[in-house]
Amino acid sequence: MHDLVRPLRVLRFSAGNAWADMWVIFSPLTWIVGWVSRVLVQVVFFALIGLLLGSDDAVRYLFIGNAVMITAMEATMSVTTTTWERRQGTMPLLVAAPTRLWPVFMGRSVQWLPTGVITASVALFALGPAFGVDWTPARALTVLACLAVVAVATYCFALLLSAIVLTAVDLHNVISNVAQAITMLIAGVMVPVSFWPGWVQAIAQALPLTHGLAAIRAVTDAQAVGPVAGEVIAGLSLTIGVGALWLLAAALLFEGLAAAGRRTGSIEFAD
Amino acid sequence: MRMAEDAVEVRRLRRVFRGRRKSPGVAALDSVDLVIPAGEVHGLLGPNGAGKTTLCKILATVLLPTSGHASVGGHDVVRETAAVRRIIGIVFGGERGLYTRLTARQNLEFWAAMYGLRGRTLRLRVDAMLSQIGLTERADDRVEGFSRGMKQRLHLARGLIGDPQVVLLDEPTTGMDPVAAREFRTLVGELRDDGRTVLLTTHDMAEAEAVCDRVTLIDNGRLLATERPAALSSWISTYSRVDARDVPAERVPQLICELRDIPGVAGVRAIQPSGIRVETDVADAAPQVIRHLLDSGINSVATSTPDLEEVYLHIIGERGLRVSR
Repeated sequence: MHDLVRPLRVLRFSAGNAWADMWVIFSPLTWIVGWVSRVLVQVVFFALIGLLLGSDDAVRYLFIGNAVMITAMEATMSVTTTTWERRQGTMPLLVAAPTRLWPVFMGRSVQWLPTGVITASVALFALGPAFGVDWTPARALTVLACLAVVAVATYCFALLLSAIVLTAVDLHNVISNVAQAITMLIAGVMVPVSFWPGWVQAIAQALPLTHGLAAIRAVTDAQAVGPVAGEVIAGLSLTIGVGALWLLAAALLFEGLAAAGRRTGSIEFAD
Repeated sequence: MRMAEDAVEVRRLRRVFRGRRKSPGVAALDSVDLVIPAGEVHGLLGPNGAGKTTLCKILATVLLPTSGHASVGGHDVVRETAAVRRIIGIVFGGERGLYTRLTARQNLEFWAAMYGLRGRTLRLRVDAMLSQIGLTERADDRVEGFSRGMKQRLHLARGLIGDPQVVLLDEPTTGMDPVAAREFRTLVGELRDDGRTVLLTTHDMAEAEAVCDRVTLIDNGRLLATERPAALSSWISTYSRVDARDVPAERVPQLICELRDIPGVAGVRAIQPSGIRVETDVADAAPQVIRHLLDSGINSVATSTPDLEEVYLHIIGERGLRVSR
């Protein structure tokens, strides 16, 4: 039983580390003024492209897609923050400790989950009516739950990228930005997934955001939540399933990284 | 947990780092044999690049050996990694290895969780460690505001949080001021009193002499000698140094030639101002050198007792401060 609980305990303390990082980077004021306002402008910018197309539906589609994308975007920022572990020189100590690496890294960047959900919520709920999205309490609560699922599942995907980046720290910005750009293009944010050729659509199915966003669109497009509940649950189930697979892959890769580091000598004491 | 009689056992250990492409690689450790009994503070002394950290990394399970055997507490570092990790603690010098945005307490809580502590046990252990290193008053301050000495004490507490039987200290006083280094050595003494085994790597002779029960000299990946610091000094006492002062300048060349002919004299050279230094490599050569100097009318003569630094430099020789490849 202890072996099952220990990773969760480590995850909790690692999450505390993430939270401490968060409030060094931001104060509540700089987070609201410097970060939330910036991404809100980004959402508005992309939504206004719909005006150029002369379509209210396009405006609405782009607004919802880009608002939800914020959640995924912030979750992907864990790719960068994971590298801080290497820069702080704790890698050899983590490897040499009698607990596996994955709970440490799973907790290490969780600050981006609540911030991603909150920022996207502010965009959707505060700006939504101006872009043709109306909210009822049931619809808002359902979307909030969907955002949470999207955040966690995308975070799991980002953990795999983080594990890759730990072997090539200098590439963290490249990998993070490329992942965000691809997600934005093919996961149904800017254009429907069906716009793309079949093989691109197949790749899109591997992204948690594709399914989570589809569920959110089902909620926002419906007159009421009840009739689309099945569709939403199916979408969220897929989101969770895809996220779980990425988490499993990430955990294996973190452990593989430690094993490879032992062989090659890439885990330095001064690391 | 019962500790094996020998806390660390290393047999014919070799580690080769492969270079890029078809380069043959570099042997960071080569046929290393070392046994450290439980409860000993053992120094690993050598210049940068000697292989000290490589050995520590293998014992810490963050590096695999290319061949040979290493065990800690009777557990093989390759096959019984989990068992080894439960009984070791690692401390290295410098600023890295701490979460500077966390408080000292939060750092220790995190590492305590990593070592399987929980609940009240975790809290009590963290409090005890903070008290032991004298950081109770600063426990809830962020580490980024700590002095280097305070960070190093926290490093030590972090390394001890899992109550390890074997503590690996890799150049722990690097960058410390003398006062902080002395405090740290006191803490190492307390580890010995607790019955823990300590492997301390350093290139600081005074540090090795001050805290170690035995010292192993290492260079170019090979162990050169293992002895008690005092015994190592006496072992090298065959290498004596005789300094002659106030030698008339016109007599220096002639005296150098005469001294070179004395059996056991390894080297003679002029030193400033107006002196001669004689190095001997046979135990009874120094008295003959002194007698010859006195017979030649040179009355200002001094011999020096080798300290560990001289032992170190004698054995490692001119390569002392260069980094090997």
